[in-house]
Amino acid sequence: MAAEEAAGMIAIGAGLAVGLAGIGTGMAQKDIGAAAVGAITEDSKMLGKALMFMVLPETIVIFGLVIAILAIFTM
Amino acid sequence: MFGRSNRSGNYAYTATKAKAMKSRLIKEDDYNKMLQLSVSELAHFASEAGYQKEVTELGDKSEGVELVERVTYAYMANTFKILLNGSQGELHTVLAAYLQKWDNWNIKVILRGKSYGLSTDEIRNDLVPAGSLSAEDLERLIAFESSEEVLTAYEKLASMPIPAEYMADFKATGNLGMIEDYMDKFRYERLVKIIPTNTIPTRMFSQYVRGAIDIKNLETILKLKVEGVTGEAVMPYVIEGGKQIDSKFAKQLADAATLEDTYADLAQLDFYDSIKEQIDNGEFNVRNLILNTQKYEMSVAKKFANEYPLSVLPVIDYMLCMENEARNIRTIARGIESGLSKDVIKGLLVI
Repeated sequence: MAAEEAAGMIAIGAGLAVGLAGIGTGMAQKDIGAAAVGAITEDSKMLGKALMFMVLPETIVIFGLVIAILAIFTM
Repeated sequence: MFGRSNRSGNYAYTATKAKAMKSRLIKEDDYNKMLQLSVSELAHFASEAGYQKEVTELGDKSEGVELVERVTYAYMANTFKILLNGSQGELHTVLAAYLQKWDNWNIKVILRGKSYGLSTDEIRNDLVPAGSLSAEDLERLIAFESSEEVLTAYEKLASMPIPAEYMADFKATGNLGMIEDYMDKFRYERLVKIIPTNTIPTRMFSQYVRGAIDIKNLETILKLKVEGVTGEAVMPYVIEGGKQIDSKFAKQLADAATLEDTYADLAQLDFYDSIKEQIDNGEFNVRNLILNTQKYEMSVAKKFANEYPLSVLPVIDYMLCMENEARNIRTIARGIESGLSKDVIKGLLVI
């Protein structure tokens, strides 16, 4: 029974890690995306740089995913 | 939490757009090149500097200095409209209130045009549609027969009730002076009220506007003093809400016996350093003061914009720089046309 409870808590923790990291990424990308569109509409040459900045916050959600995987498969 | 953007405004989009627009403005070196050109070459230079669409549109309707003047204001109006129409929420409200300057400008152009008997085409050529009024609104205002009808319609469009005594004075004398001054006062006072003070950038913008009111008041007091108007007679023209020049200090400046005495009272003001050299050199002309305070205002806006990149400040900074660029190009065109020396023209520019 205790093992099942622990497994459930780990699953909740993993879900929170991915979910909250995803929300953080979304909040960061909202402003970066808006700024990128503003810059690109004025100068299309900015597309490459803007895309690079746009994907930077993706690392946050990857960290969340890594924590979730670690939680599920190593505990 | 997620509704934040819609309520407060799309700062990231608008501020970045304004910064990208600012990067295309004419640089100091280009002004030196422009001083070597003729007026027709200046129009060509402007076309290559980003004004191509406006030069093409207006090229067959006007020429020479008139073409350069119309192109600069048309370009400025287009870029301001893009920023205003692309902004949302609180940011849009603040920008619309700030750009009411150009709505007031257009109403003054229409009213003066009608009083001088100009045709609708001539009035239309002088409009700068950079404010909240749409092209349709302006067309409707131009189409009115009398100035009273224009003012009545503008009162509703801008939610700006004009006091009955000013309207009565205008009807009796035909003099627009009081109404024009009132429109400027109303715009500044409403702007100070509209700017929210819940964040550091908006508080800084509010302080900036209140500083601009001080400069405007000082200009007014000095101009009136030059014309021999002093004391209590100056007070109706003073705008309330200034940062350092309140009505008491304004009265003290207006009561000063000479222009030199007025300048001597300015040492405590924020912008004193920008006019100190002028005062130390014994230059008490208002034109130099305006040029120096314009430079000061632009330096303050630039500093603010760099400190808070995702706020209203970069947008205002761009608008000030764009307006200054339009003014500089017009000054160069008029200077070249009048045969002024390059050094004299350069002295009139704010770079």
